[in-house]
Parts: sequence; structure tokens; C-alpha cells
Amino acid sequence: MIPDVQYAMQQSQQNLSAALQQVSTGLRVNQLSDDPAASANMVASLATSANVDQYTSNVSSVLSQMQTADSAIGSIVTSLNSAVTLGTEGATGTASTANRAAIATQVEGLLTDIVGDANSSFQGAFLFGGTASSTQPFVAASTTYTSSNGSAASPLSTSTALTAGSVTTISDATTGETMTFKAAAGDTIATLQSAVASAVSAGTLSAGTAATINAAGQLSISTNSSAAGIVVSSNSAALGSMTAASGTEVANAYAYVGNRSVNSVQVGDSLSVATNLPGSNLLTSGTNVIAALNGLITALQGGTTAEIGTAASAITTALNAVSNQRISLDSTLSQLESQESYLSQETLTLSTEQTSLVGVNLATAATNLSAAETTNSAVLAAAAKVMPNTLFDYLK
Amino acid sequence: MSLSTSLSTAVQALNAASGALQITNNNISNANTPGYTREVVVLQQAGSNSENGVSLGNGVDFEGYQSVRDELLQTRIEQETQAQSGANAQLSSLQAIEPTFTTSTTDIGTEMSALFSSISSLSTDPTSSTLQETVLASGQKLATSFNTASSTLTSQQTGLNTQVTQDVSEINQLSKQIAALNPQIANLKASGQSDGGALQDQQDALVLKLSALTNVSITQTDNGETLTTGDGTPLVLGSQSYALQASTGTDGMQHVLDANGDDITSSLTSGDLGGTVQTRDTTIPGLLKQLDTLANQFATAINSAQATGYDQNGDAGQDFFTVPTTVSGSAASIKVAITDPALIASSSDGTSGSNGNLVNLSAVQTTKLASGQTPGDAYASLVYQVGSLTSSANAESTASASTLVQLNDQLSSVSGVSTDEEAANLVQYQQAYEAAARVVTTIQALFSITMTMGTTAAE
Repeated sequence: MIPDVQYAMQQSQQNLSAALQQVSTGLRVNQLSDDPAASANMVASLATSANVDQYTSNVSSVLSQMQTADSAIGSIVTSLNSAVTLGTEGATGTASTANRAAIATQVEGLLTDIVGDANSSFQGAFLFGGTASSTQPFVAASTTYTSSNGSAASPLSTSTALTAGSVTTISDATTGETMTFKAAAGDTIATLQSAVASAVSAGTLSAGTAATINAAGQLSISTNSSAAGIVVSSNSAALGSMTAASGTEVANAYAYVGNRSVNSVQVGDSLSVATNLPGSNLLTSGTNVIAALNGLITALQGGTTAEIGTAASAITTALNAVSNQRISLDSTLSQLESQESYLSQETLTLSTEQTSLVGVNLATAATNLSAAETTNSAVLAAAAKVMPNTLFDYLK
Repeated sequence: MSLSTSLSTAVQALNAASGALQITNNNISNANTPGYTREVVVLQQAGSNSENGVSLGNGVDFEGYQSVRDELLQTRIEQETQAQSGANAQLSSLQAIEPTFTTSTTDIGTEMSALFSSISSLSTDPTSSTLQETVLASGQKLATSFNTASSTLTSQQTGLNTQVTQDVSEINQLSKQIAALNPQIANLKASGQSDGGALQDQQDALVLKLSALTNVSITQTDNGETLTTGDGTPLVLGSQSYALQASTGTDGMQHVLDANGDDITSSLTSGDLGGTVQTRDTTIPGLLKQLDTLANQFATAINSAQATGYDQNGDAGQDFFTVPTTVSGSAASIKVAITDPALIASSSDGTSGSNGNLVNLSAVQTTKLASGQTPGDAYASLVYQVGSLTSSANAESTASASTLVQLNDQLSSVSGVSTDEEAANLVQYQQAYEAAARVVTTIQALFSITMTMGTTAAE
């Protein structure tokens, strides 16, 4: 009898504490063994939740980055609109030379603004430099760059070896293209020279661009004086840093030194969005906005009325090109906004799923608890009734 | 029939009643003694006397007691005890392992998700050193959670290994005691006792204790009980006990050897020792192997994804995790190989601002490993296994416990002392004694009458 009573009490106390745990934790599955299958499913569900949370946070950081980019483009569009107005104004027959010169100065100011907008950054990263976001993408161009190494006493020569793995880039403001030369082991200045020559014949660099050893014994990379100029950089220890030769800067000319790569950020299991617009797409490739503005400035400074009109309509074309780029950016923005609301819905769905996997219905749990309490007191009452009864009680 | 014959019959009755009262008394005294078997009075009608051609009963012979045993039930209880102890040994280890794999802030699944979240977060700003640090820190936390899980499993295994030595020495102790009782019981039986009585109870209790430790099979012989282990090696044979020994095997674990030095570890299937050996040699190594495989394949996948990209310095990505070349021990020794956050290969084109390779790192989450499962699925199946092993050990233990309660109920209804029944017996034997005493008084009266016969008349 006694072991039976003890077993019954143990069982009912276990049930009671299980019911109590369910109510206090709100969970049906408190240990893996409570429901191994649900526990395993939870692993996947929690991982999905973590992903959705991360997508949500990605959306918000990408959104603010892209909104900054959008407002920079908005400001470029405003500047271009002003340039169109100024061009039209300058193209009227009544405008005097002095008027036109003044307008040209205003357009130059607009160009500076536009380049400034194109050099905008977000949290320290340049927005329009492609993935080369750590350097300013639009740089004032010069016709000649010289190396810091080399002197008349110890001149560099065509056989001077370049540091293996070093990269030399020449960005051309006229073509809007960049030549990148990565030195392999054994490469010399002569190798670089022939690479420049091939880039010229390929059209990457303007005609007349060449690398030579100058009278001072330095490496000099220069372009045709009629071209809009170049920007050169190198990290070869053999050359030292490449700097623009003084007095060779080309007015209103900017070379794009960024790249054309686009970063994508995942904002859903199967949705990634391009988060940046390379500056080349925005300003130099296809319709060259900078060149169009320069064309207008030149025409205003000494061109005929017809030439000014043509240059002004080129700005309109450039404006359309920039607006088109903005449309694709804006469509990504609206896609992100709708993804944000989808993700918050998804979070809700997942949390419902998790509750049904391991959670407990509170009403059921409370009922179970009170049932377990009742059973436990019944067991105790029964034990108290049964245990003292023996025949000895009656043999008095 | 003479009065003196009647008197001796009455004295026999008195003896029988007082003997029966003593047996009842003993039953009542031992009502709560574990392993005590109820004794019943054995009375036999004495041979009849024939006097003058008339056959008359000659009273009662008090033949002592008989213990009420059910050997079959006893054997079933022993078997069920073996099963229950085995399940309990497994259950307690698994319950210690369970929390490691339960969703928490530091379990492998959560840390794995956190690593992928940090990688995804880095993709929004690949040059941010804060986000790079987060990836590195998440990697370190994941490595730590693998290390912790592995050390939980191995420390359980080490604990179980110590248990083997303890169990073996307890088994030897019990075998010795059981063997010592065999000749004593045999002597009792040889002297005409039908039952070993208290000694038998003592031996049964020892065998039950032994059953809680290991699987034994029991056969009754003329020399007492013979006990053999799982593979048939004798533990107790007559008065002789054969000691098992624990010895360190080539795998560094304690192996159980029989008296001949043969390894019987694999034949230990139940009892605490069986459960312990099974958990130590099968369950935990199985889980460890899966954990090691996951750690190794996961680290390899992350490392290959790193290798396809470039770090912040524009150099090809180097290994993110360090794992041994062999799968075994991977979870215990996995660690983050790089300390400089700039060495995370987020770039696909060598520029520091590119996030093109992070997609390859993120893809590890959804790509099947060499095991054919994604890292998350591989971990989920580990979680399922730990849960299901624990839950079946628990179910087995609960089932055995309830079977044991039933079997013990059955046994106690046969062999247990019912105080009610003893109370009734007490009344019955008391009355028998009173009746017999009454007979003595009557005979005494008759004697007096006989002695004084004629005296009164003479006066």
C-alpha cells in the first residue's frame, strides 16, 4: 500500500511542477526532451527570425544611405536645371559678351557644386565612387604627373623595376575611363610604358598620353595639352607618389578615379538590392555631364549664339540622363520601403510559429495547473484516509 | 486414552500456538523491513494413536515456518531493476548534456545566426571597423560555444568513466557477499529446512542491489544461486565469487574484464554499469562525432568563402577559423584564426569598399555542407537527437518505474506482510492458546478429581 501511495504522490507532484513550470515560463517545451521535434524546428525558425531581423536592420541602414545619395542626385538635377536656364539665357541674341562671361562664371560655379555633390559621402564612405568608396571619386585633372622618386643625379630608367603587386592607375577626364596597371614580378617602367601605349590605342586613354622619363630623371605621365587631363596614382615604392606637375591643372576638368563596381545588400532571402551608383554612370559614362557643362562654359566664353544653343541643349540631354539614373535609384528606394513592411509582417508570422512550436496556450496551461492541483490534493487526501486504517484500530 | 496423553497433546497445542504467535510477532516486527518475506506457520496433524482398537488424533506438530516466495516475480523485479537503472544512468548524463543544446543566448544555433547576421550587417558598410569587429567577435563566440558543447560532452564521458570503476568495485563486493551466503543457505536446506528464510531474504536483497548495477542472469542450483554476467561469465558459482576488473584500454577508457581477463565491456547492456558504458561508448561519441563534423565542415566552408575574396588590404582572404585537419577534436579546438578585423575578406575586387565577397560568406548559411545538410539543419538534427535520446531514456525510466511499482505490488501481495492479516492471526492464535490452556486446566481438574477419587466418600 505504502509504495503505491508514494508512487501516486510522486507522479502527481511531478505533474504539478510540470504544470507550474508551463504557466510560469509560458513555454510548453522547456527542455529539448519535452518535444525533440519542436526543439529541432525551433532551431530553423530562430535562425530565420535572426535573418529577418538582420534584413530589417539592413533595410534601414541601406535606406538612409540611399536617401543621402538620392538627395545628392536631386541637388545635381537642380544645378543642371539652372545650367539649362543659364544656357538658354546666354543663347539669346541680345546677351552681351560681358553677360555671357558672367553666365559662364555662374555655370562654372554650378559645375563645382555638381562635382561637390558627386563627391558626397555617407558615414565616411564616398557614395559615388563605386566600391572604391574610401577615396574621393572626382578629382581635378592635370595634364602632367611626375614621380617623387628619380633625380638628375640618379635618374629612373626604363629598366627600373616596379614593385611587384603595385598598382598604377591613370584616369582620363576626356574618355571617362581608367587604366589600371598591376605590376607583376619583373615588370619595369618599360612594361608600364607599353601598357600606356596599348591603352591609348584601345581608346581607354586620350591620344598623346604617354609615360616618359623626364629631364629631371623622374617618371612623367602626361597627356595631350588639348585633352581634359588625367589623374595618376601609384603605390609602387620604386616610383614614390605621383603628383600633378604644378601649372598643368586643367580648369573645370575632373577625372573619375572610382570604379564601376556595385555593392549589393541582401534584404530578403531572395532579394538583394544594389546600394550604390558608380559616379561614372552618373556623370561621365554615356552622356558626359562634366564635358557638357565644360562645352557650355567654352561656348559662353567665346562661341557663337548657335554654339551656345547647341551646348545648352547638350545640358538638357545630360539632365535627362541623370534623371534616368535617379529613377532606378528611386525604384530601389520604394522597393526597400515595401520590403520593410513585408519583413515586419514576416517577424509576426515567425513569432506566431514559434509560439505554436514551443509556447503554451495560457488558458490551457492555467486549466492544466488547476487540474494538477486538484489531483494532487485528492491524492494526498486519499493517502491520509487510507494509511492509518488497520484492523488493529478496531481490536480494542 | 490416558489423561497424560491428553495433557501432552494440550502442551503441543500450547507450543504450536505460542510458536505461531512468535511467527506472527516476527511478521509484524518486519512489516516495514525491505526485502522481508512473510512467514507462514507450518502446522501438521500428529500421527494418530491407536488404543484398544480405537484410533485417536494425537494433536499437532509445530513444524516452524515457511517463507512465502514467488521466484518468478522476484526474477522479473530483478530484470526490471536492471532496465530501470540502465535508463536512469543514461538519463542523468543526457539531462546534463541537454541544456548545452537548448536554445539560449549562447548555444551553437544562436551564435551561428549571430555570425551570419553580423556578416549581413557588414555588407551595408564593408569598411566600418565596428561592423568588422562584430563579425570577428561573433566568430569567436561561435567557436567558444562549439568548445563548450564539446567539453560538456567530454566531461560527462570522463565522469561516466570514473563511474565504471566504482560500479565494478561495488559489483565485486556484492558478488562476494552473495557467494558467502550460498553455502549457509545450502546447509540450512540440508538440515531439512525447506527455505533459507532470513538468509534467503538477505541474498535476494543483495541480488536486487547487484541488478541495479549490471545485467546478471540467475540460476538456482543445489549449491545455491549461480550468477552470470551478460556474456555468460560467472560472477558467483556456489561459494566462489569471481571478481571483475576495470582496466584502462587503448582508447583511454576503463574497460571491464572478467576473471579470465576477457573484455566483457560490450556485453554490459543494463544496470547502472550497462547504462553508463552505453552512454560513454555509444551515445556521447555519436554526438561528439556529429558536433566535430559540423564544426569542421562549417569552418572549412567559411574558410573557402574567405579565400574567394580580398581583405581590407587588398590581399586574398586567409583562413577565418582554425580547425584540425582531422574531423575528430574539431569542436574542441575550433578557434578564430585572425585577430585583425581588417582581414575579413569582404571585398570581391580588392577595393576595401566592395562587399562582393560577403555574399559568399553569407551563402554558407544556406549551402549544404559535405554532410549533405546546411549548418543550421545539421545543428537542428543534433538538437533533435539529444532531445529524443533524453526523452526516450526518460520514457524508459518512467515505464520501468511504473512496472516496478506493479511488480512490487504483486510481490507484496504474495510475500509482503499485511498487518490486517497478522492482526487476525494474532487473535486466532491467542484464542488457540487460550483454548489449549483451558484444556490443560480441565485436565488438571480431572487429575485432581482422579487423585481425590474415593477420599471424600471415605470421610
